Amino acid sequence: MAPTNKSTRRTLIGSGVLLLAGLASASVQADDAKQIIRDRCLACHTESGDASAPNFSRISEQRKTPEGWLFTINRMINLRGLQISDDEKREVVRYLADTQGLAPSEAAPFRYLLEQDTNLVEEGVDQALAETCARCHSAARFGLQRRTTEEWQLLVNFHMGQFPTTEFHSLARDRKWYEIAHDEVAVQLGEQYPLLTPAWDNWKQAVKSDLDGRWRVTGFVPGKGEYDAWMTTSKADGGRYNLSLEGQYADGSPLSGSGKATVYTGYEWRASITIDGVKMRQVMAADAKGMSMNGRMFLASEREIGGVMSALKDTKAPAVVAVMPSYLRKGESTALTIIGQNLDGDIDLGPGVKVEKVLERSDDRIHLMARATGDEGTQSVQVGAAELASGLAVYGELARVEVTPQNAVARIGGMSKMPKVRVAYRAVGYSAGADGKPGTEDDLRLGYMPAEWSIKPADEMAAEEKDAEFAGTIDAAGIFTPGDDGPNPKRKMMANNVGRLAVVASVKDAGEAVEGDGSLLVSVPDFVRRVLD
Amino acid sequence: MKLKNVLKSAGVLGAVGLGSLASQAMADQEFLLTITRPNQLHVIDMSSNTIARTCDIPGPFGTGSIALSPDNTHAYVLSNGTKDVYGFDIRNCDITFKAEQSSPTEQVISMQSIAVSADGKELYTVQNPIKKLSDRFEVEQPRLAVFNIKDGMDAKVVRTFPVDRRITKIAVTDENEVILGGADLKGINPKTGEVRMVSKLASWEKGPLWLPPDAFAMHSQGEQMHEYIMPYVTAKFDSEDWNFETAEWWWGISRVDLKTGKATRDEVLPFQFIIFNFVADPRNPDILYGSFNTLSKHDISKKETLIVHDMPHTYYDLNISGDGKTLYVGGTSSDISIHDSDTLEKIGSIQLTGDMSTSDLRVATIRN
Ligand code: HEC
Ligand code: HEC
Repeated sequence: MAPTNKSTRRTLIGSGVLLLAGLASASVQADDAKQIIRDRCLACHTESGDASAPNFSRISEQRKTPEGWLFTINRMINLRGLQISDDEKREVVRYLADTQGLAPSEAAPFRYLLEQDTNLVEEGVDQALAETCARCHSAARFGLQRRTTEEWQLLVNFHMGQFPTTEFHSLARDRKWYEIAHDEVAVQLGEQYPLLTPAWDNWKQAVKSDLDGRWRVTGFVPGKGEYDAWMTTSKADGGRYNLSLEGQYADGSPLSGSGKATVYTGYEWRASITIDGVKMRQVMAADAKGMSMNGRMFLASEREIGGVMSALKDTKAPAVVAVMPSYLRKGESTALTIIGQNLDGDIDLGPGVKVEKVLERSDDRIHLMARATGDEGTQSVQVGAAELASGLAVYGELARVEVTPQNAVARIGGMSKMPKVRVAYRAVGYSAGADGKPGTEDDLRLGYMPAEWSIKPADEMAAEEKDAEFAGTIDAAGIFTPGDDGPNPKRKMMANNVGRLAVVASVKDAGEAVEGDGSLLVSVPDFVRRVLD
Repeated sequence: MKLKNVLKSAGVLGAVGLGSLASQAMADQEFLLTITRPNQLHVIDMSSNTIARTCDIPGPFGTGSIALSPDNTHAYVLSNGTKDVYGFDIRNCDITFKAEQSSPTEQVISMQSIAVSADGKELYTVQNPIKKLSDRFEVEQPRLAVFNIKDGMDAKVVRTFPVDRRITKIAVTDENEVILGGADLKGINPKTGEVRMVSKLASWEKGPLWLPPDAFAMHSQGEQMHEYIMPYVTAKFDSEDWNFETAEWWWGISRVDLKTGKATRDEVLPFQFIIFNFVADPRNPDILYGSFNTLSKHDISKKETLIVHDMPHTYYDLNISGDGKTLYVGGTSSDISIHDSDTLEKIGSIQLTGDMSTSDLRVATIRN
């Protein structure tokens, strides 16, 4: 083994070359990681080229997300017999994600997978890719990778070797699956998702911003509700960040937590945080300037239970980040909260909206009573120099309720080793828009609305099987909990508690209830837990 | 238990008179063979529907594929994720044959494909090889592999011939042609490697209104008829726009007579529900039985479904007694459900020690 780079780093940092410490540690880290690859991977992989810019066989011809690299290296450990410590693994993942990652624009279409939002039906997947590849896993799994054509072909070979039944499955055995996958689809992927792209070249060159500072945060936690908070981040050792989060839920109860984060590829924010005793994870992407981050926060133990999250850096400039709730019914005096930072000056909720009374005001939140008299439509919300375009939807009548997720899968569990997989629901309200017809393109999105939740059988067959009775229950917060796994003696054929349901949200609008529903499949446990689906 | 004892106890328990015991002892004996998890071969006496003996198969479960020697005294099974082949004398569970198909640098699996030559001297598998290099896999051409059965416990491949990809069940004709169940049904001469088309499926010429068939033979249990059945699903569209909603959906079968090697292919039944396997009634080749979530009976001369019997769970496969009277429905779970072939009513069941999963359900007839 070469002289240990770890101790080199320690001496460098320790010797008080303070100014250079940051810079030096980054490149020393890269040298460290390269050395780990040499020590751990070259038992099977080979190195060629210049020692300062080495080419590692298989490894250097692909780019992927941090989770993608972790996924591969886990396979090297579990199936190929790679021996590597957790620290070394972390270092290699970080190095590979930094030097062979995805540009923000490349990852953008597939962020749902990184955010582990599993209840999403992928749309617009090319038919060849859908049938050849996306019938076992998401299209995002390969949409989040970039490879040479040869590497896409070797990936097909990996599937053939690892899952030899692949070409015998339905949608494979009726065609020349291997030939199609290797000679056509892999070539198509090599063109659609090539190793070298201008987007990546540009991002590699770009100056990356530090993500330390104070952030104005809003988001949603299932069962708790919407919240607004301040997140403070500070750089710690080894490119990591410490963070704390302090704020309140919409019902006034406090929220407080702290944790650690790592930033990959200059913009991929991954944090573990304990909020009021509950371990959660944040997956966000920073914008190019490092001024805002957007993503999702979810339970560490249950990735299905989570909600959107966004953060805006405090640059001392005034900003409005949200209005809660985001809708205002015409003619009714309603309490609203404006969330922002450095708020100062006059409040303007747009034409025809009157601020009747300011109940409470500080520089980061304003509680007020407002009343709309003018036309339907989205209004920009201003406080002094700060403006949030389309911050408030003024509407006449709630016309339609959409349940999210529209198509979800819950999984029975609890009795076996497998935990139950729950689903967290929200209801989004719409008014009919100018044409007066709900369900058309001009419907006005009002935002998330509180709802009463219930379930019913999806259709006659599900009713006959009494699915709504056995498959699970939904609580007042819109969280569906499936039934126990294992055969149920009370069911026909001793079936287990699977079922097909409609999840119904009923939203009250001026005394009238408006309903919407989503479809829910309550399925059997999925015994494979993956880093990326 | 010795075969004689099985015979005796079956006769006595069946409360048959001495005379009939004597005549039964002279008759052919039918045994139902299947494999359960973790990895046991069960030999079930079909006269008493009891387990005569259980043979432990070395290694982890394969897919439960079973091939019989021509005299039906030996069963060859795929084990260890279908990488290895073991041969058993089903009369005493002796292991008589073993072939390891994979090596550290080459992974070889056989997808159900295993058969014994007409003279009982050779064993055939279709091998799907993958070369395992140190940092990549290479996909190689599948091949028919020939083993000498007399090589016993350390059998090595003696000949190979290239074959198509995606071959599942194989079977041997009386003229010793190996029928290869792939996208098309082909036959290969295992001496010369010469391949002929037996029944076109993927390359059929039915014109633009027909959906290319989705053909799949996971089991193909035609031993009572001495035939090979490859079921398929297709659809006939009303126009070249291929409207799946208005299409007519059909079950079809390619059927090879293993005496002559001659094949027929036809759409035999409207597709109404999933059937994983068909077996024919030895008394009338137009009567087929099918299993999956239902047990069903069909008259394909009229393209009609005669009876549908709901089953309590999924059963992948089924087989039939030589007299055509009794159906054995198995696979998937740990019970074999026994049914009267006239009415499809359940008349008994056999509980096994583990799940059959995808295993075959074969009938071995040991002739006196
Ligand atoms: C014991 C041998 C072995 C070791 C050690 C090993 N690999 Fe691999 N690697 C393989 C094999 C075999 C393959 C091809 C099969 C596969 O993709 O799983 C492979 C494939 C890969 C691929 C391509 C995967 C894909 O999706 O196409 C990458 C990337 C990779 N390895 C990275 C690494 C890294 C990084 C290390 C060290 C931290 C490592 N490997 C250590 C054997 C090894
Ligand atoms: C038969 C189901 C199946 C099909 C079809 C399939 N995959 Fe996969 N794929 C898997 C499974 C299972 C894994 C997980 C492998 C592991 O455990 O590391 C995987 C892994 C992957 C990975 C991650 C590998 C890595 O190390 O980065 C990618 C990328 C991928 N598949 C792309 C594809 C593409 C492209 C196709 C079409 C050519 C395809 N898959 C077809 C089942 C499938």
